[in-house]
Amino acid sequence: MSELRTQEFQINMGPQHPSTHGVCRFILTLDGEVIIKAEPVIGYLHRAIEKICENRTYAQCIPVIDRFEYCTSMSSEMVFVLAAEKLAGIKIPERAEYLRVIMLELNRIASHLIWYGTTSLDLGAITPFLYGFREREDVLDLFEMTCGQRLTYNYIRVGGVSRDIPKEFIPKCHEFLDKFQGKVDDYERVLTENPIFLVRNKNVGVLTPQMAVAYGISGPSLRASGVKWDLRVDDPYSIYDRFRFEIPSFQNGDCYDRYLVRIKEMRESAKIVGQAIEQMPEGDIMAKVPANFKPPKGEVYSRIENSRGEMGAYIQSPGDSKKPLRVKLRGGSYNQLQVMPELVRGHKVADVVAIMASLDIIMPEIDR
Amino acid sequence: MNRDELIKYLQDKFQDKIELLDTGRVEPFFRIKPEDLVGFCRAIKDDDRLCMDYLCNIGAVDTGERFEVVYNVSSIKNRTRFDFKIVMEYENAAIDSVQRIWPAANWYEREMWELYGINIRDHGNLKRFLLPDDWNQGNPMRKNWDAPDFKRMPEF
Amino acid sequence: MEIAAIFKYLYELLASTGLPSMLVDIIALGFAAVVVFLFLALVALFLVWLERKVSAHIQQRFGPMRTGWHGWIQTVADAIKLLQKEDTTPANADHPVFYWAPIIAFVAAFMAYVAIPFGDGLIVSDLNIGILFIIAITTFTIISLLMAGWGSNSKYALLGGMRSAAQVVSYEVPMIISVLAVVVFAGSLSMVDIVESQAKIYQWYIFRLPFGPIAFIIYIIAATAETNRTPFDIPEAEQELVAGFNVEYSGMKFAMFFLAEFVNMFTVSAIATTLFLGGWQGPLLPSWVWFLIKTFGMVFVFMWFRWTYPRLRVDQLMEFSWKFLVPLGFANLILAGWMKSSGWFNW
Repeated sequence: MSELRTQEFQINMGPQHPSTHGVCRFILTLDGEVIIKAEPVIGYLHRAIEKICENRTYAQCIPVIDRFEYCTSMSSEMVFVLAAEKLAGIKIPERAEYLRVIMLELNRIASHLIWYGTTSLDLGAITPFLYGFREREDVLDLFEMTCGQRLTYNYIRVGGVSRDIPKEFIPKCHEFLDKFQGKVDDYERVLTENPIFLVRNKNVGVLTPQMAVAYGISGPSLRASGVKWDLRVDDPYSIYDRFRFEIPSFQNGDCYDRYLVRIKEMRESAKIVGQAIEQMPEGDIMAKVPANFKPPKGEVYSRIENSRGEMGAYIQSPGDSKKPLRVKLRGGSYNQLQVMPELVRGHKVADVVAIMASLDIIMPEIDR
Repeated sequence: MNRDELIKYLQDKFQDKIELLDTGRVEPFFRIKPEDLVGFCRAIKDDDRLCMDYLCNIGAVDTGERFEVVYNVSSIKNRTRFDFKIVMEYENAAIDSVQRIWPAANWYEREMWELYGINIRDHGNLKRFLLPDDWNQGNPMRKNWDAPDFKRMPEF
Repeated sequence: MEIAAIFKYLYELLASTGLPSMLVDIIALGFAAVVVFLFLALVALFLVWLERKVSAHIQQRFGPMRTGWHGWIQTVADAIKLLQKEDTTPANADHPVFYWAPIIAFVAAFMAYVAIPFGDGLIVSDLNIGILFIIAITTFTIISLLMAGWGSNSKYALLGGMRSAAQVVSYEVPMIISVLAVVVFAGSLSMVDIVESQAKIYQWYIFRLPFGPIAFIIYIIAATAETNRTPFDIPEAEQELVAGFNVEYSGMKFAMFFLAEFVNMFTVSAIATTLFLGGWQGPLLPSWVWFLIKTFGMVFVFMWFRWTYPRLRVDQLMEFSWKFLVPLGFANLILAGWMKSSGWFNW
């Protein structure tokens, strides 16, 4: 009896799709339910941020760079501002450093809450999404109190930060931190031991450490594969060396480990915020930076640890201009989307969603 | 290794193939020739004391007079970081692909090809990437690119 | 005022008008069908509202609050909206198949109520093959899923239809096996007999250790899969296939699938009540009130599952059914048979 001939067929996932974390399109070649080839098609969210920045002064660039990775706007601004400050050799006051760290870590918590909500939403459990966003409302209230904005802040400026925190900030922040650990316990209770969640995530999308480093993956996805690399500790910037926090890392590199890493990171970020609030001194929040800021000729690449991995900004300054010559932005999701076709091969269609959610890919970082 | 040791080590290892620039503000910035690219990259990756296994970024720059392609590399094992660049003219700008050394380079080079028009030899997948599929208005990131609805901000 | 007494009175009234008895029966059954249909339509509308409120409160929000007191008119508003939507048909769809799929789903959902006892004496027809009839009719839903998937002429719909057909067929087997365990013990397929064999509360099949609770749990899991609810809602997985087999349906046809799903949920809850929780029996309140309380309790449990659990992947779902539930169900059936024949644990 001759072999039954099966045929591969191509299916298009996206760009309008509830689960592709932004506007991403996958062209999947399937054999039945198993994926043979996956090709991501991007560019639906390309806003030409780098070209725009070549035409703006450094202060005007900051709201634009906010939109580079809008889930963690503070990190986007921070990486750009760090590069500009390194170019000009500016030292910023202590209070500004502490404020920046507080905002960065709160933003990391907010971003991980988005990740938590969308991961469980993608797997079918809709309720944790609402729970995560309930906590995120508290964090966004803190941001709104400080800089007036909930998502794109325009807060971290060259030389410091734009405004000091109001007096209601610290009590409200303490209130948030006090209940946050209990809430993260709630989140874990819903999903971490759930057999359905385990069976959907264990041994799915295994990323070996060699593959991760070769493809330039960083952040929680790299730490879940066993490589204990966190830029806050291994290439310290700002004042992170003054805080005590752990770097979680696990061995398997599957979706479940990436989930565990991020849950633990949320707890550690809360601890950092608590320590920063206690240690924060009084003082200026902005260094003396000339109004027409013209950094000397040079180029620098600065990088920080974002919730999605290493975020980098390469700035080249021509020396006598208020505008940068070139701003190249690098986001962690770019490399993670690049490695996705390797990870999904051999899995089923439902796993594409699970893997993409666990890698925490969002499109604005990729398309810029 | 700190900055000075790194500079000395690289200069000893590569001698006249590598030139230290003075524009690197924090990490050392070097310049290499286009034809030495693949050899240099392989050497810094395989070297035990350097072990630059992590490619952070590849970016192209249009300085108004020429193209530069900037590579930022880092080492996870040894915690070092440095950058290097290649300088070339506008005419027939082309470089070799380093994706066989760092697979992460694939998309970075593809984006460079699309936005700047720098040809990448041996890439294998130079297709439309960030721009729309039917884009026929040139390479947008070049300084001399213009389009009817592209307005520059006034100088002030 | 017993409802059964009202119906009996109306029947006597009809019989006394002197029409031939066949015609009297036909008219009586037609009337019963209309009453059941109206009741179920109301129940379906109520369940839609209940799902929204239950899900909202689980998720710490309120749900519909503006349309009427706590949003009870919301479903009416939704029905009116769906009625006035444009009825689109995809370009190369297979028209007869596409058209009949929702109708078959709807009919299969409603026809099962011929044999479900709503209370003492409140049953359209006490078939002596009651539960077998119900299971046979609810299996028709598979045909409508496949028709919807095929007739839509869309890859997503086809994938969704195939997956859901595979899922429903795999979970029919454990469901039937768990029902059989109860039937073996009750000694009859008739729904009324099964309820009457659970005369005392400790005789309810859910409490008849050791086979009762196991059969109940297998039944609940299989029923969740039969009605395409989370954690088995792969056919309607919004996040993956954007609503699966009914992606191309809009307007009234979509409303039919939607309502059929809720009516199916009510059916499986009603069967669970009848088989495991003692049917309409209970002290003090009228029998139909007890039936409704128990059935809505089961409905709430199904809704609770939906808003708590993530969903299983399709191959994991099948593995679970064939490799775990079916062997467990067979073992349970043998245990029930032995318990009945040997008289042990037989209270």
